[in-house]
Amino acid sequence: MRERGSPIVEVTGVRKCYNHRWALEGVDLVVARGELYGVIGPDGSGKSSLLKAIAGVQTFDCGSIKVFGLTVASEQEAERIKARVGFLPQGVGASLYQELSVEENIDVFADLRSMPLEVLAKRKAWLLNVTRLDRFRDRSTKHLSGGMKQKLGLICALIHEPELVILDEPTTGIDPVSRQELWAILSELLYEKGMTALVSTSYMDEAERFHRLSFLSNGKVLIAGTPEAVRTSVTGFVATFETTAPASAGVRLKQTFGQVEAAGRRVRVFVGIGDREEVRRSMEVIAGEFGGSSIAVEEPELEDVVVSLLARSGGEEQRPEVSSQGALYDREEVAMQANGLTRDFGNFRAVDGVSFRVRSGEVFGLLGANGAGKTTVIKMLTGLLAPTAGTGLVAGVDMKTAARSIRERIGYVSQAFSLYLDLTVAENIQFFAGIYGLDRQTAAARGREIVAMAGLSGYEARLAGQLPMGLRQRLALGCALVHDPRVLFLDEPTAGVDPLGRRRFWDLLAMLARERGVAILITTHHLNEAERCDRLALMDAGRIVAEGTPEELKREVRQEAGALFEVVVDQPSRAVACLRRSGFPNVSLYGATIRLLCGNPDDDLSRLRRELAYGGIGVSSIRERPLSLEDVFVYRIKSLERQAQSSRQPVNA
Amino acid sequence: MTIRRLAAVAKKEWKETVRNRLFLLMAFLLPPLWMVVFGYGLVLDVERVPFAVVDRDRSPLSRDYVYRFIESRYFDYRGTIQDEREIEGLLGKTAIRLAIIVSEGFQGRLSAGRPTTVQILLDGSFPLHADITKSYVLAINRAFSRDLLTDFLVRTRGMTRDEASRLLEPVTVETRYLYNEEVRGTWSIVPALIMFALMVSPPILTALGMVREKETGSIYTMYGSTASKGDILLGKLAPYCAISMINVVVLWATAVWLFDVPFKGNVVVFFVASVLFVLCSTGMGLVVSLLVRTQMAALIITIIIAMVPTILYSGLLVPVSSLGLGARLQAHAFPAMYYTDVVRASFLKRFSLHTLWLDILALAGFAGAILLLAHRLFTKRPNA
Repeated sequence: MRERGSPIVEVTGVRKCYNHRWALEGVDLVVARGELYGVIGPDGSGKSSLLKAIAGVQTFDCGSIKVFGLTVASEQEAERIKARVGFLPQGVGASLYQELSVEENIDVFADLRSMPLEVLAKRKAWLLNVTRLDRFRDRSTKHLSGGMKQKLGLICALIHEPELVILDEPTTGIDPVSRQELWAILSELLYEKGMTALVSTSYMDEAERFHRLSFLSNGKVLIAGTPEAVRTSVTGFVATFETTAPASAGVRLKQTFGQVEAAGRRVRVFVGIGDREEVRRSMEVIAGEFGGSSIAVEEPELEDVVVSLLARSGGEEQRPEVSSQGALYDREEVAMQANGLTRDFGNFRAVDGVSFRVRSGEVFGLLGANGAGKTTVIKMLTGLLAPTAGTGLVAGVDMKTAARSIRERIGYVSQAFSLYLDLTVAENIQFFAGIYGLDRQTAAARGREIVAMAGLSGYEARLAGQLPMGLRQRLALGCALVHDPRVLFLDEPTAGVDPLGRRRFWDLLAMLARERGVAILITTHHLNEAERCDRLALMDAGRIVAEGTPEELKREVRQEAGALFEVVVDQPSRAVACLRRSGFPNVSLYGATIRLLCGNPDDDLSRLRRELAYGGIGVSSIRERPLSLEDVFVYRIKSLERQAQSSRQPVNA
Repeated sequence: MTIRRLAAVAKKEWKETVRNRLFLLMAFLLPPLWMVVFGYGLVLDVERVPFAVVDRDRSPLSRDYVYRFIESRYFDYRGTIQDEREIEGLLGKTAIRLAIIVSEGFQGRLSAGRPTTVQILLDGSFPLHADITKSYVLAINRAFSRDLLTDFLVRTRGMTRDEASRLLEPVTVETRYLYNEEVRGTWSIVPALIMFALMVSPPILTALGMVREKETGSIYTMYGSTASKGDILLGKLAPYCAISMINVVVLWATAVWLFDVPFKGNVVVFFVASVLFVLCSTGMGLVVSLLVRTQMAALIITIIIAMVPTILYSGLLVPVSSLGLGARLQAHAFPAMYYTDVVRASFLKRFSLHTLWLDILALAGFAGAILLLAHRLFTKRPNA
């Protein structure tokens, strides 16, 4: 890696308050020249306030910010840095003018900075080429996909070749393929132009892409450093094993360990004490009790570390009550069924022939980017929207024509929770009980049950609007459960919740499915949390591109495309170029490392070492990394694109 | 301040406005629509009052009396009714607003030199309207009586008609209406509607144009750029001023050709005042947009600020000089009144600069003050 230069950004003790609420409570941060620096945290953790303050487009209350060694404390001072900074605000296409074409948008940005026209023409051509947007020069921005809008936003933020780019959640809400592309473009541009970048994200799985990062939680830095340093800041290992009784195993493990997750038949536990061998031995003992097999002990992921830190620092949150008895329901009963569901909006096909089945006691995930059609599928299943073709059945009945008594057997948590923020927790629950026609006594009893289950005891008199996001989300779930539905629809319920809160939410869902036999359909664009679904379907542009258990999906890709390897080299940018020249197809720059898929690891890796050595690039380590669902998603969509192209070619020829 | 940056903002704003159907309609359709709708609807002239007659006398004299109403342009004859009881129904459903009942023996009593009465029934729902109608009735009635008397004098005293008239009315009033010779309501209201249309649509358009950017987040493109505050504000204002000036021409043409209002004043003075007023009205929208965060809030506040003083205190409906002291002070605190003065004068009076320079100076002052205020309020580094 290139030598770290003088600091580009120095943030000391910055605080920011909106209407008596602290968004930043004393943040320190230093970004060195040439770094790709990450600010990670859930919605509302203060990322945007910090980035806007550094970009000089919003005030802060205390502390100091220096950019390029210049203080940014007043409007006049902030003006001094703006020629050298590029800023991309949060929100897909937020910085762009939707009525203008792609090229017109770029021109506005360039004109606003009085760029010489020859320079503009050259850079514009180059950037449009790199981002593969040149075919869309004249297209109106409002007709671009989310991924294309973000790429255009990036072009516009970079058109004046700033020394520092500040990008606020550039990858939130766009499809995984565009996300990978955006990162690849960004990493390569930074190397090529020697820019420094400060990037925020709410996706934990993007953390490894940064040279260094800070994890923000409630306006404070929870931990900062290189991904490696963060990962090793907490000692311990992650052990996984498969068992036929994951729920009981989970309960047993929770007696000893804090962080236990059960997904499908796999149990995953973070063990904070002992060395690798000790952990393996103790796991073998416990796994033995539950007929466990294929025990693995691995280094913890970044998310495990953050969750453990959050659990340590927090403590204000109560845990939901997750007990366990054995499963006592018929898992074969089909609770939801989509048969070739299709929906058109004018000329636009939002959902295209979607079919799947969800059984009682199953958590089924519907994954995809914003606009992939997830919400439309839910609306058709719940009878809120009529399908153009196909049928959606819940408990064997079409919800559009079903009797009221059957319709009341479903629960629905919408994208923006349907809570009343100026009612208290108890009042919200009572209100929903009233809507579903529960009598006073039942309502009171259910209310107590739900408060206990959702871990809301002691918060009954608090206004819903004053709850932290994690609790608010559990309250929304509780309200949807007030009439004890057999089928539950959750539309992006975890947006804005920190990793710890998300894990607790999933524990609750697992309990509902395992113990009460509730069939759950959940949508999310956090691909890593979808690992906890029993089965899932990947959606892209209205179609399902893959379906199965998370393990199945990964195994299939591993068989078809090979294993994922991470290579640590001294000159990553050159190494990527060198490997692409020598015919490695799936190589990408990933933070300061390189990742690639190898179908035949033995041959491929030795060839890789040869090529890199020939190119004068030093390799310090090569190790296999587990495939993520995102890798699966990207691979599936790209192979679909390839198929479409090859089937089109004979026609053209 | 650089022309290229200012032009970049202006060009972008213009494209956004003309490519968005809603904004396009608001920019170019709304102002002439206001004028047409209000030009026809807001006229307060009382003319063609529908009326019916019950003539119980059916004599030549009673027919002569009724005929004077039928002939008048202020009344609209809807027929003669046989049965008096029908009147209430007709008045009730507003088929007529006035009924004239001529009693039996009308001609007989008059011929015998005895006084007689004619009953009129008036719809009093709109007091002003009823009063004006009554005054028309009284005038026609007085003329009829005087003519009878004149005839009598001519017949009995052997006077000429002129002598008889002079005897009956020693003092006569000679009225001449200036500026609006035919005292037509449209001539007075339509020019003022130019002011009204310019006070409603341009500020809303400007306010929404700015707040729209705050809502989507593209305002950070402006904040983060090297364009100065002046570049951004003037760039934002320029296209809306241009749109409004196009509207001035369209409205002027509508007034002259559709409503036949004469334009007697000085074109240059009129357009200079219009430019200044447009700066005021778009500037007011800009100021509002800097204070609020959502398009809804911008819309409501702009409408209140723009409409209320405009309708009540601008001289649109009631001359400012006949307002109470408080209202008169308010009227002077908004630019609308000064522009109304200039527009009315430009259309109806032949005066120009030497009488209107104070109004124009006031408009220039308002425009400058509003733009300065906007510059003070705007920051590229806001609190939230």
